[in-house]
Amino acid sequence: MEEAKKNGLRLYKSAALVAAILASNITQAEMFNTGKVLATGGVSMIDGAGGGGITPWATITGYATRDGINGNLHYTYAPLANYTLHSVGAAVGFWDRFELSYTKSSLTTGSTFDTVGLIADTAGGPSGQLAGTPINTGIEPFNTTIDMDIVGAKVRVFGEAIYDSDNLIPQIAIGGFYKKNENEDLLKTLKAAKAKDWEAYISATKIFFPINTLINITARYTAANQTGLVGFGGPGGDDKEIRPEISLAYLLRKDTVIGIEWAKHGDNLEGESVEIGGLNLTELQPTLDSLGMSNLSGTLTQHESDWFDAFIAYFPNKNLSMTFAYAMLGDITITPDQHGFYLSLQASF
Amino acid sequence: MKPIFRTIAIAILAGTAALPSYAQTAETNTFPGLDDDAVQQWGGEEGVRNWVESLFYYIMLDNRINHVFREFGNIERQIYLNTQLTQLVLGGAVEYQGASMAAAHADLGITVTQFNAVVEAAYLACERVTVTYEACNQLIAALAPYERVIVTR
Ligand code: HEM
Repeated sequence: MEEAKKNGLRLYKSAALVAAILASNITQAEMFNTGKVLATGGVSMIDGAGGGGITPWATITGYATRDGINGNLHYTYAPLANYTLHSVGAAVGFWDRFELSYTKSSLTTGSTFDTVGLIADTAGGPSGQLAGTPINTGIEPFNTTIDMDIVGAKVRVFGEAIYDSDNLIPQIAIGGFYKKNENEDLLKTLKAAKAKDWEAYISATKIFFPINTLINITARYTAANQTGLVGFGGPGGDDKEIRPEISLAYLLRKDTVIGIEWAKHGDNLEGESVEIGGLNLTELQPTLDSLGMSNLSGTLTQHESDWFDAFIAYFPNKNLSMTFAYAMLGDITITPDQHGFYLSLQASF
Repeated sequence: MKPIFRTIAIAILAGTAALPSYAQTAETNTFPGLDDDAVQQWGGEEGVRNWVESLFYYIMLDNRINHVFREFGNIERQIYLNTQLTQLVLGGAVEYQGASMAAAHADLGITVTQFNAVVEAAYLACERVTVTYEACNQLIAALAPYERVIVTR
């Protein structure tokens, strides 16, 4: 009897203990985590994924280890010769396994398309008509802007970029973007086939600590022109192709990384002219001549170059990173030599 | 009931803990290999010992991990053994006399977040005893693969 009572008491006690442990585990299982080592979450690339500046890496964005989740906001500003890119976005990394991102890019084109806008206006006459059809080039006579929404997701498949320094197996992730370019009329003028499209990529990342070096290799399956800022595909169709991208980074200090990147770009619009109201600018030559604008069509031929950049990323703490780069983007549509500085800030929470 | 079960339980626990402790703890084969002069970059074997002292100082300042060491650790023994292990993996001609990494940490339920906290303490300790970042990464490379056996959650 006495024994049974004691046992009963013990049972209550253990039940209470179990409940207490469960409760403490629930508070301990707090989702929020910043357990990665400084800088190992990478920075935000322009499409919003975790990675370098222009290339997504196999690392999952943010500072969460597999014990939790962590998010960040980023703002990127790249004032090039004729264009200025602003990109603002948010990304969340889940259990160092899965990543979701949203970014809004806005490319102000400065004076680039002013000529085209003026031609359209002039050729179309005051009523904005050319050969009886209304012209909508998507180009304001001055200061056209291209906006693009980018949703991204990435999942880490296998491999350890950081811990497995005793084998050469890289960390592998696959991911994708859905991009929606808002300036459909301008893309028509520039002869892109599509304004919205998806891209997929596979990335392999490995850190070689004995030589303080990170290597990332990405293959992106895409039809993008200038990452989609000039739409997808061209007069030849909208088929996707595989394009390689490489990032090489040197770990200078535990809070500072320097590196270079290269991303292959396509040629969907290579050598294409600009189209106004269903007419190529070359076909408009007689009109241009009569308007005293001959020779313009030569300067209105589009080109696209591979992208290069050299960067330095500084991580003063786990809440902030600053990336400064020099971006060499070459020809962008009708303007050559688009080189300039690039600044990206990332705030992590 | 109790005594016999307790004996069996202890025997099993001791057995699982003891078995892997015979496993060899040796130099890590990293890719690429460590610098030949890694121990010298660390200020020799004495430099390594200074670093381990400094390491435990930073570990005991970190609330994410210090309670584990306070409860289950033996700081003096760990400084002694970690000095041997660090000298060994950096390429020193030293014998490591402690338990294998798997055995020493098996019952601690260590998370990768806690493992990284020790990595952060390691970098801070390197700065404190003026071991360069590049030299510090020689050790990081050599110890990183132990994450697979030390982290059990
Ligand atoms: C690469 C990282 C690590 C290395 C190289 C390392 C090394 C060692 C060594 C050499 C020992 C002594 C083994 C013995 O007594 O025979 C030890 C024990 C211990 N380690 Fe670690 N350790 C690491 C990570 C951790 C972490 C992340 C924690 C906890 C947060 C931890 C907690 C302990 C504790 C509590 C003991 C004492 C265990 C006991 O005496 O029963 N260690 N470790």
